[in-house]
Amino acid sequence: MSLWVDKFRPKTLDDLHYHQSLSTRLKSLAASADFPHMLFYGPSGAGKKTRISCTLRQLFGSGVEKLKIDQRVFISPSKRKLEINIVQSNFHIEITPSEAGNYDRVVIQDLLKEIAQTQQVDLNAKHRFKVVVINEADSLSRDAQAALRRTMEKYMSNMRIILCANSTSKLIAPIKSRCLLMRVAAPNPKEMQIVLEHVAKKLKFDLPEEASQQIAEDSGGNMRKALLVFEALKMQSPDLSGSLKIAKPDWETYCHKVADLIVQEQSPARVLEVRAKLYELLTHCIPPTIILKTIAEQVVERVDEAIKADVMHWAAFYETRMRLGNKKIYHLEAWVVKVMSLYKHFMYNFDMADYE
Amino acid sequence: MAPAKSSKNVARTGKDLRSFFGGAGGDIIHKATTKSDRTMMVDSDDISPKKSLKRKNIVISSDEEDNSVALPSPKKKVAVAAKSAPKVVSPASTSKVAASKAVASALTSKTTAPKVVALASTSKATTSASKAKTNGKAPVKSKKSKDGEFAVDSYEDEAEESEDNCEDAKPPAKPFNWAAAKAARLAGPSAPGSKQVPEAKSPNCLEGLAFVFTGELNSFSRDEATDLAKRFGGRVVGQPSSKTSFVVLGDNAGPAKLKAIKKHQLKTLSEDEFLHLIATRQGPGEPGGEVLDEKTKKKIEKEQATIKQAARELERREKQASKEADKSNRSKTDVSNQLWTTRYAPQSLKDICGNKGQVEKLRQWLHDWSDSLKCGFKKPGKHATNVYRAMMITGPPGIGKTTSAHLCAKLEGFTPIELNASDARNKKLLESAMNINNLSLDGWMGGNDATNAAGVRITDKTCLIMDEVDGMSAGDRGGVGALNALIKKTKIPIICIANDRGAQKLKPLVANTFSLPFKRPEAQAVRSRIMTIAYKENMKLPANVVDQLVAGSQSDIRQVLNMLSTWRLSGSSMDFDEAKNLTKINEKYTILTPFDVTNKILSPYAFGPNVRETLGDKMELYFHDHSFVPLFIQENYLKTQPVKVRNLEGPPKMLKQLELMDQAASSISDADLVDALIHGPEQHWSLMPLHAVCSMVRPASFLFGPGGGYGGQNPMTFPQWLGHNSKQNKLNRQLGDVQVRMRLKVSGDKHEIRQSYIPALFPHVIKPLIDVGAAAVDEVIERMDEYYLSREDWDTVVELGVDAQKDDIVNKLIKPATKTLFTKRYNSTDHPIPFHKATDLGKAPKKLSGPAPDLDDVFDLDDQVVDASDDEKGKVKDEDELAADKLFRARKPKTRKTTTVKGRKTRDFM
Repeated sequence: MSLWVDKFRPKTLDDLHYHQSLSTRLKSLAASADFPHMLFYGPSGAGKKTRISCTLRQLFGSGVEKLKIDQRVFISPSKRKLEINIVQSNFHIEITPSEAGNYDRVVIQDLLKEIAQTQQVDLNAKHRFKVVVINEADSLSRDAQAALRRTMEKYMSNMRIILCANSTSKLIAPIKSRCLLMRVAAPNPKEMQIVLEHVAKKLKFDLPEEASQQIAEDSGGNMRKALLVFEALKMQSPDLSGSLKIAKPDWETYCHKVADLIVQEQSPARVLEVRAKLYELLTHCIPPTIILKTIAEQVVERVDEAIKADVMHWAAFYETRMRLGNKKIYHLEAWVVKVMSLYKHFMYNFDMADYE
Repeated sequence: MAPAKSSKNVARTGKDLRSFFGGAGGDIIHKATTKSDRTMMVDSDDISPKKSLKRKNIVISSDEEDNSVALPSPKKKVAVAAKSAPKVVSPASTSKVAASKAVASALTSKTTAPKVVALASTSKATTSASKAKTNGKAPVKSKKSKDGEFAVDSYEDEAEESEDNCEDAKPPAKPFNWAAAKAARLAGPSAPGSKQVPEAKSPNCLEGLAFVFTGELNSFSRDEATDLAKRFGGRVVGQPSSKTSFVVLGDNAGPAKLKAIKKHQLKTLSEDEFLHLIATRQGPGEPGGEVLDEKTKKKIEKEQATIKQAARELERREKQASKEADKSNRSKTDVSNQLWTTRYAPQSLKDICGNKGQVEKLRQWLHDWSDSLKCGFKKPGKHATNVYRAMMITGPPGIGKTTSAHLCAKLEGFTPIELNASDARNKKLLESAMNINNLSLDGWMGGNDATNAAGVRITDKTCLIMDEVDGMSAGDRGGVGALNALIKKTKIPIICIANDRGAQKLKPLVANTFSLPFKRPEAQAVRSRIMTIAYKENMKLPANVVDQLVAGSQSDIRQVLNMLSTWRLSGSSMDFDEAKNLTKINEKYTILTPFDVTNKILSPYAFGPNVRETLGDKMELYFHDHSFVPLFIQENYLKTQPVKVRNLEGPPKMLKQLELMDQAASSISDADLVDALIHGPEQHWSLMPLHAVCSMVRPASFLFGPGGGYGGQNPMTFPQWLGHNSKQNKLNRQLGDVQVRMRLKVSGDKHEIRQSYIPALFPHVIKPLIDVGAAAVDEVIERMDEYYLSREDWDTVVELGVDAQKDDIVNKLIKPATKTLFTKRYNSTDHPIPFHKATDLGKAPKKLSGPAPDLDDVFDLDDQVVDASDDEKGKVKDEDELAADKLFRARKPKTRKTTTVKGRKTRDFM
């Protein structure tokens, strides 16, 4: 028995609950003869992948749902073996080049050329081209993006590319200009409630209005998160009535603890303590940006109005540096120290003002 | 040193001059000053600074004209002239030159000093006043100091050149001003590098005194100050004790040392008093100097006698050797052609400097060798050495390891056979060419009564000295192993010599050899030997020079001898500074460990106004290990108690410290950006110096201070980043595996899996095992199959948890019985597999075995049999895990087949 989020995932464009205009556009695009390259972007949990798979189904029929996973081995220029997992059907192929780290260019060059240079063999296929879905396109290196440019134009007859990214800011302009940009915005709470009610109806139980509202607010526009939380809540209290306490994921509560540590005491020893906790989060595969964002939000909640803006400013400052640099912990720690210094200075000045 | 030297002359001749000039001197001076007045008056209407400079030159030159016969340096002339000047000059006191004279007079005339200084400081002519002195860099501002004592200090610094008898004249001390002292402390050292080292009264003026330095001096760095003490013959000790003569106290002295001072009631000196001591104390043994007590006098005499005695002995020995060489008609080796290191190599045990105990052990072991061989190395003997067939001497270069080994062998009548890194020592050679029953033919050749140089009868015993064992490198393949095998059965003593005891290469030898670590000999142990040699070579070397040489070369006797022999070519005496320079030139470049680098750069004396290390020197530290040092700094930069906040208290201290930490952390963050450029696609290696500054020098410059060292309250640690990074990579890879398996069901990427799915899956696949236990196993497995998760993936999910879902906690909560049942149940059932990993499939199968046509093929198959059985062995553990796996079933026929082939093969042979 799958989790609800996977069980009730919409399969066709008609099943989608929100962004109706986007659905109709996708439908008409799929029906037209020349299907463009596309770039789906939006926050995680908005429904990008779902829309992509629905579009593919619209294009090729139910054949695209017969997926298989293949593992391909590429040799990097330094003779290192790179294992890349490829999810494919007869009509499309899905890759995550960021698995190859710095060598994603090799993957893009080899794999795309190979696909682009072969024609669709299946005579019953609705379209002559195959679709390549590239996940996490915003983590493609600059080299890989450059490698993509020419391929996209040259092999248009055999291949269409669908890029899937969280934001377009990391994509180079030539790529963006070659794609039809599809923004999949996060659903608003109303839309999320509709989806939640739909799931509840399918499962034949009643979802109280307050509960769905609370879930929608908690999830912050992430539909996946909302559904997972919904299921967890249902497990906790089957009737979903009364006051509900939405359990935060483990890493989030941990981040809150770090924020507490920062606000409680400002000293070198405390920085070392926080550093240990940050390491813990990083090693357990929580992206540094998420860590910084979560902690910063929590710190801002706990400090005085006067320094809120500063805390966020420095969070943004060090977040940029984190993206540019190699060792994330350095920048996280620099931010922590900065916030501690700010807070202490503020508190001390505050104290003095009180006495005088 | 030039100005100091000239002022030395001044100091020496000052008195004589005054007496010489007595009455007539005044006349000459009078003439000089009037002449200068005259020249001055010529252009007195021109007041531009450029002109005044010119004027000064004129003044001096005019002086020279007048009394160049009597006076060696113009400076003294000015000073001396000024002594009687005030009267003469007073009419012209408005002019600048006159003011300069007034200052000069202030410096020389003792009783009016404070008053005149005050006058000089108010006069506008200070600039030209300083120019009038040859050492123009002496600070003018110190004269302006509000504190009367400071004025006197500078007065002492500058005036002692010409006046020795003014030392007792001090103005009445003002009551101590606490606020001013605190302000001075906050302002940091008052005059870094401004004070001049006074000319010593005698070159060994500090002889017989023991000094302890503590705290931060005003003007000298610690190294400079200790050098000063050593240069003039003083001893510098680390901790104050009752034998300490003086403690030189700086600011912020250590509390422990202050306590010791109180306890032993030691005399303390300020920096100025210390300088004053140098300037005024007469060295012992010189007229007017301190009278030595009988005991020390005797001691010194005795020392000198032994040195002479030893030198004579050397002389005698050399003569004898040459005579013998003549007698035996052997090709005569001229001793003067030999290197000093061979010429003065120790000939007897007492010649060896340091490590006496270890050498004795070695000798005893060789002495007992035949007995221990007879009893089969059963009796441990006096030093417990006799159960070993080999010795391992380890220690730094140049301290006499090889020499000691050779000497001991000779003294015990062994003929040493030496193999060093210049010989090939691979396995084959060691096994074939080394005869462990070696007998020497030397005993036969010379007849029974021949003796070697040490007077020991030559026998047929041999001894193998394996020098530079840690140098057995790529060329000597298997050498260490073969040597080890050799040691196990040898019948002759083997002495191995190496530099690094802990080297990985030497691990096999550790168990079979007696370890004999040699230490660097103390300076004292080397001193008399070096002085003997110097005496024999007619070199004049004071003891403190020898000490400096030994200390500078880190007790490397060989290097000291080589340095001396080179020096002897150009001169026959060496003073302290020359010794210091020489050792500096010959300095061995040692690579510091990152620990040492971190310790150094974060130490309380790493930065500050008195530190003479330049930015370049500090950056150099980074290049000792450029990949590790930044990590070490990042790990440890918060563990110090910064010197910069030492003078603050309470909340301001913490605020300041946080500010410093912030600066350091942001600098480290900068460094990471630089690092990204260096290791990025464009590889800007030229940015490394910048990285050095950002990652190491700058953070350390904010937070340097005590407490971060080896034994401090926050001991230095190895960077955790490395461990965490590799763990992160590992978990990231495992998470990737999980994501791929779940991919058929889940659209999210890796991060989504971690952030949303793992917390969501927790209550389904892990919690039931905690809460329900064994009964929930089936349900959990069903849920896992739904997402194609394997048993390993379950471990990954557990491992990825943090906080309350941390793997340690979770694993403790699940009962072991539940877990074993879970594993068993999972392995005994079939599970859906989304795909086969390339690595799971193993190697491509080799050529399938048909009937064996020829022998080659048979051997091939034989190999395969071994492979297969190996595989089986390896798989036994995994067997239950793989029982359900189709892959394993596919393997079985293969093993069966190969075994049958084996059977056939044996039949073939029969």
